[in-house]
Amino acid sequence: MRSRSFLQLLAKEFRELLASRAFWLMLLFVGLLVGHGFITAVGLYAEMSGTGGGPAALPQGLNSLDGVIVPTWGAYDLAATLLFPFVAIRTISSEKESGALKLLLQLPGTLITKLTAKGVVLLLAWLIAWIPGAVAIVLWRSYGGHVYAPETLNLLLGHGLRGLLSGGLGIAAAALTDGAASAAIVTLAFTVGTWALDFVAAGRGGLVQQLASYTPTAALRSFEQGLLRLNAVAVIALLSCAGFGLAAVWLNTGRTIRSRLLRTLLLLVVAAGLVWAGASLRKTWDVSENRRNSFSLQDEATLRRIDQPLKITIFLSPEDPRLTDFEQNVLRRLRRVLGKLEVEYAASSRTGLFETGDDHYGEIWYELGGQRVVERSTIEEVVLDQIYQLAKLDPPQRPNADESFGGFPLAAQPKHAATIFYIVWPLVVIVTWWVSRR
Amino acid sequence: MLSVEGLSKIFGSRRVLSDVSFTVRPGEVLGLIGPNGAGKTTVLECLAGLLPSNAGSLSYRGESLALTRRKQALFYVPDGILPWAEQPVKWVLRFFEKLYARGADKLSQIAGPLRLEEIGRSRVGTLSKGERKRMLLALSLLTPHPVLLLDEPFDGLDLRQTRDVMTLLRSESVTGRALVVSIHQLNDAAKVCDRLVLLNNGERVAEGTLGELQQQANLIDGGLEEIFLALT
Repeated sequence: MRSRSFLQLLAKEFRELLASRAFWLMLLFVGLLVGHGFITAVGLYAEMSGTGGGPAALPQGLNSLDGVIVPTWGAYDLAATLLFPFVAIRTISSEKESGALKLLLQLPGTLITKLTAKGVVLLLAWLIAWIPGAVAIVLWRSYGGHVYAPETLNLLLGHGLRGLLSGGLGIAAAALTDGAASAAIVTLAFTVGTWALDFVAAGRGGLVQQLASYTPTAALRSFEQGLLRLNAVAVIALLSCAGFGLAAVWLNTGRTIRSRLLRTLLLLVVAAGLVWAGASLRKTWDVSENRRNSFSLQDEATLRRIDQPLKITIFLSPEDPRLTDFEQNVLRRLRRVLGKLEVEYAASSRTGLFETGDDHYGEIWYELGGQRVVERSTIEEVVLDQIYQLAKLDPPQRPNADESFGGFPLAAQPKHAATIFYIVWPLVVIVTWWVSRR
Repeated sequence: MLSVEGLSKIFGSRRVLSDVSFTVRPGEVLGLIGPNGAGKTTVLECLAGLLPSNAGSLSYRGESLALTRRKQALFYVPDGILPWAEQPVKWVLRFFEKLYARGADKLSQIAGPLRLEEIGRSRVGTLSKGERKRMLLALSLLTPHPVLLLDEPFDGLDLRQTRDVMTLLRSESVTGRALVVSIHQLNDAAKVCDRLVLLNNGERVAEGTLGELQQQANLIDGGLEEIFLALT
């Protein structure tokens, strides 16, 4: 009985999805965005790879993930921010505005079951929207491009979670507000808020930076860099579920506002506890082909022998490019290897332009076992040698440059891409929409 | 079958229902009658569990009917809704038929009186007020609930359709289902209802058959309009 009801609800939600103009418009624009991203990325990749027979500029820096797949799939970040929430909002708002919600609430199954059906269909909608992105990967392969499956699948997981979060947010906003327009404002306000948090948290450290690492943009960034963080997966999945939970509380119109507020409070407390637990999961996997998130195997083995806490105090402002280098090349990797790492951002200004030597500006302090060394370099080898010196460990034999990642230069032209993304895809979307309405 | 005790509802500082009590018997058509703003729709929405009440209780077959169990016994069809506007009527009807595992017999049984064949291919959003009302009535009759709550079931129907729908509702009540209908047209109410609950300004003014109400109002041959005016 229950499974039959659920299947009927799924069928209803799918038909409602097909009737949604927001869904078809999303499909149309996603194809155009993906096409533009893909054609631009392939062209730039070809230039870097030496179009016209010249040598590649920096072959070791050329990999398909950074050069083609991430920029192409960047269209989905835009879609998840500005298009997909409207598809999600419509699933609730249209039923609220038409009065269908009053019938839906009385149909067999709990509200959670009904929202699950909506969630499943939204996920399906998001997967359907991936078709242009998948076509782009197939085209890239057909040009002779290299695709490394683990890092590509990791990126898809990131975009899947990004879509889930947008769906949960849209559903919650639609349930909490009176109409689609108000829900859209709430959703966009949330997105702008996360952008602001990203900006404010850069180089701050502490709780703010930890919070900012779970904003949709920041979480997606780690997937784009070939890093699979268990805590990011857990936190985004939990936040998405909390969105659906919040919708379940507020769509239950038979309960008083007071009861709904209490349930909201309870839900937020439980969700916050689970998110806190999820955020404390430290397991990460570097699935990138060039191991960009890891030190060499030899260095990692040596660093794991350090069992004392290491404290790093950084006197670099958030807008100083040296801090970006240090974060990307050293800190991100150290955090994965060292269990007891404390990082303090000590610069007092945002730009560092007016800080002086008295402020220790430009210095990075390393403290281990009661000893401290001061260093200004942000180069990986120099930093690691300082840490080994503090830990009284011998630096390991590092691999030769010849053994490092060689890159995959490819001077290919995006053949047929414009036809596929700018002509065929829009036609397919329009014809399918027309057929679905018959 | 269904007993409502002391139902009250306050919106902000406005009391829209005040201590409303009545009973519903098996197989009867009970009319909630009263002018616009009397609280008829609010009573139905509170009973269906779609609106929280400030006080009052509901019992079904002698047992208290908690909010979570309402939809097992009651099904409410609101007035003026346009559910799933982009879908064809035929699909919406089939959705209910499959959801409640009703055989095709039920749909064919109600299709004639409600003239569903005429509107089957139309999208819900393109229906006229009367056509939409017929579709909503069909949805309610496709549910298996022992008590149906119908808000203004004749609103938008022409004379012939009203007569057909009255016959259909009467035949449905004969099977043992109880129907609670809110009606603001008193002539229609007198024709279709077994008993009546008179509401005015959120208060229950009277309850009973037409004959009992005539006695209460001291109007032996009085029509419902005269009775209502006499009692309010």
